[in-house]
Amino acid sequence: MKPRNTFLRIFAALKKDPLGMAGFILVSLILFLTVFAAWLAPYDPFEVDVYNRLSSPSAAHWLGTDQLGRDVLSRVLFGGQVALKVSLVAISVSLSIGLVLGMLAGFGPRWLDRALVVSFDTVRSFPTIMFALAFVALTGPSLNTVIGVIIITSIPVYARVVRTQTRALRERDFILAERAMGASTGRILRDHVLPNIAAPLFILASMDVPAVVGMEAALSFLGLGVSPPTPSWGSILNDGYSYLRNSPWPIIAGGLPLIAVTLGFTFFGESLRDIFDPKLRKKDQ
Amino acid sequence: MNLPVLNIQDLSINYQTEQGPLQALRNVNLLLPAGKIIGIVGESGCGKSTLISAIIRLLAPNARIAGGAVVFRDRDLLSLSQEQMRSLRGDQISMVFQDPMTSLNPVMTIGRQMFDVQHHGNASRAEKKARSLMMLQRVGIPDAEAQLKRYPHHLSGGMRQRVAIAMALMAEPALLIADEPTTALDATLEVQIIHRLKELQHEFGCSILFISHHLGVIAELCDEVVVMYAGEVVETGSLRDVFVNPQHPYTQKLLECDPARIMHRTRDLPVIEGSLPNLVDLPRGCIFRERCSKSLARCAVERPSLAGDHHQVACHLLDTAS
Amino acid sequence: MSTLLSVRDLYVRYSLGGGLLSLVGKSPSYVDVVHGVSLDINRGETMGIVGESGSGKTTLAMALCGLAPVSNGEVFFNGEKMGQGRNNMLKPDRKRVALMFQDPVGSLNPRMTVRRALAEPFRIHKTGAKSPDKEALRLLSMVGLGDDFADRFPHQLSGGQARRVGVARALALRPDILVADEPTAGLDVSIQGEILNLLSRLQQEMGLGLLIITHNLNVVRHVADQMSIMYLGRFIEQGDSQQIFSQPRHPYTAALLSANPSPDPDAQSDPIELIGDAPSLLNRPLGCGFHTRCPRVQSQCRETFPGVTSATDRHVFNCFFPMGKPKTS
Repeated sequence: MKPRNTFLRIFAALKKDPLGMAGFILVSLILFLTVFAAWLAPYDPFEVDVYNRLSSPSAAHWLGTDQLGRDVLSRVLFGGQVALKVSLVAISVSLSIGLVLGMLAGFGPRWLDRALVVSFDTVRSFPTIMFALAFVALTGPSLNTVIGVIIITSIPVYARVVRTQTRALRERDFILAERAMGASTGRILRDHVLPNIAAPLFILASMDVPAVVGMEAALSFLGLGVSPPTPSWGSILNDGYSYLRNSPWPIIAGGLPLIAVTLGFTFFGESLRDIFDPKLRKKDQ
Repeated sequence: MNLPVLNIQDLSINYQTEQGPLQALRNVNLLLPAGKIIGIVGESGCGKSTLISAIIRLLAPNARIAGGAVVFRDRDLLSLSQEQMRSLRGDQISMVFQDPMTSLNPVMTIGRQMFDVQHHGNASRAEKKARSLMMLQRVGIPDAEAQLKRYPHHLSGGMRQRVAIAMALMAEPALLIADEPTTALDATLEVQIIHRLKELQHEFGCSILFISHHLGVIAELCDEVVVMYAGEVVETGSLRDVFVNPQHPYTQKLLECDPARIMHRTRDLPVIEGSLPNLVDLPRGCIFRERCSKSLARCAVERPSLAGDHHQVACHLLDTAS
Repeated sequence: MSTLLSVRDLYVRYSLGGGLLSLVGKSPSYVDVVHGVSLDINRGETMGIVGESGSGKTTLAMALCGLAPVSNGEVFFNGEKMGQGRNNMLKPDRKRVALMFQDPVGSLNPRMTVRRALAEPFRIHKTGAKSPDKEALRLLSMVGLGDDFADRFPHQLSGGQARRVGVARALALRPDILVADEPTAGLDVSIQGEILNLLSRLQQEMGLGLLIITHNLNVVRHVADQMSIMYLGRFIEQGDSQQIFSQPRHPYTAALLSANPSPDPDAQSDPIELIGDAPSLLNRPLGCGFHTRCPRVQSQCRETFPGVTSATDRHVFNCFFPMGKPKTS
């Protein structure tokens, strides 16, 4: 059998895995809704309507309105854009840096490995929120601050995973065989180590999306993230929290997408992991 | 007359695959009398491992028993509950694997593990210890007392395999299944272990089902031989019948290929041309026909069945000869 | 013409890190996995290195291919001394010295097709070959595999097929010497013959020097011109393989040869049974390494390592009380 297109293979495997399929549909739905928020949102998320404060869901406002009478559905959709931007930028930057540092630690000389591991552990030993507070104190709350905090705290996570995987691969016979054939270290890392750690890493990253989205929400909830009136799931939750006695709807509306993101990316990520694991892959004979 | 220890009758096992059922074993018969050692010979894909898993009832989840019986003394193992089977394993049926670490727990001392296997019955701690020491000495482990306090990783491969054998024989099982127990060992150790096994078998009187691809070891140890090819028994008989006077073309080829038998130096070693048939889509007729140099027209249409008194062969050539 | 590969007094020493072990004070802080080994291989010749697991034979192979540190000794290739690089690893000419690994599937990248794996040597060395992919197909046919194998992944190959791919890749750049670590391990007897025949054929076609590392004496008997028997990192007997097979002089060699059970039930087997296992390299016995198991041991053996004795001009051994001579009491 010829190796088919990767997307076709993923799709074929998903058809047999209902949970993975559900995850895939959720993820696609979330991406679609947030990317096209500008067209899909029924109202301007900033438009204040004080006569219509904290209303319950109705035909006009599907998810009700918040304490300033803004349409919650529209704010949730636009908040998704913030969440998506943060996770995309933060994960891709920290993944790239973590990949390079992790491979250096895993394949490089011993002293470099030790130095890098110590610095990863140092960064990891700060509690994220404390770290964020310190960072915000220096730069002030903004979306970029959130991204910066997430990048710095995520690099060691990726780097450690990459380092462990690289170390394990380093002693494998096929890497030794490459060395015996005279392949350069760069070539070995690029052609043999990277492809073998890319899939698990990619899956790890996809499962990290909910964590990053959650972190952005948490930082915004604490007022350390995006500044008002920019909508973010965290700030929607924060606003809703203050008026919980008046209306539960903003909390529900801010919490649901977080749950959807978590479930969607986790199910999809786990399904991808099974698909890409060559040992679990069925023999095509 | 003594009941045979193991009597496998017409056993067929399939594995469910996406392409359809893979017929791993087809109408396999095997009779292991009490106190005998039977060697199973065959190359990868012949069904040895499936056969063992069926006997100890640890088949892969996608395996289906398509028919037949595995009678241990007077009970059909295939009809026992998992609970009943568990109490048989380790008590009346023991196993020794290729890798002794399969049966040894890496985080427990040898002594602890040897006492634990004696949970059947109610011996005192001192009795268990005495028995463990005796067994370790019997398998040729020096300074047995000190070994009881050590962990498996302290021991060399040869010593570990001896411990595994000692543990397997501890319960004085009626049947010992040894799956390539010496394959991972070096030649000088292999001989030691084989000789120990033979002595112990005489002493304890158990029956042994011995699986090996090393024909020399089979010849050294076994009374009878079963030759398997692609899920079928193609020849069975006494060691002498099969190894000195092989009748099935596959057995003949296999023996011919063994470099240990080729005493003159050659750069052109014999091989068996061709490859195993696809067990999902079985060819008609004889399973070995495609690789057989002596096949007849009849071999393409009719599957030969085992024939003969004690030395049984599944081959049409024998009909023609008589 | 000079010898193709010549090894003189080679040591591979690993330090044990000097951690907790050195605090205990009992163990040495290093271990010589290969201990003063010398050998010569000529073009077109096969040398078999035989030893039990842990005797250091694989480490020797790795060292010769620049994958294990050489702490002492010299290696000459075509008369030229091989240089040493980082961590004292030898720097053989990778195009001239090829290595075949023991595990044929494990030595292939699981994510690369056979075609890409076979094209690797050409890509690495950017050699004249215009199309590495075409070369890959040529190599496949050289080892008797069809083009349809080119798109398979390693886990889709049988043991024998993976081994053929290993042979093809090792010989891709037409090396002068091939180091083959256990080339028949894990193969059925009928396939063993195929692989050995293939190696012999290609050796004759290419005039290859072949170094075969194995514990299978039957392999050595059929393919090796010369053999070296290794025990605890040292060669204890070396020479023409037929001479050694017909008259082993070292008691260990004799035990090893007699411990080769014959499939003939009528064969008179009278193996020399050794006591116990080989000691660990970590506590290498003083004197002759084999004295703990040797049936002919004398007090002298426990103190000094026996020097080289010549049995014939093509057969040497290290033993004070060799076989084939009455034991002195």
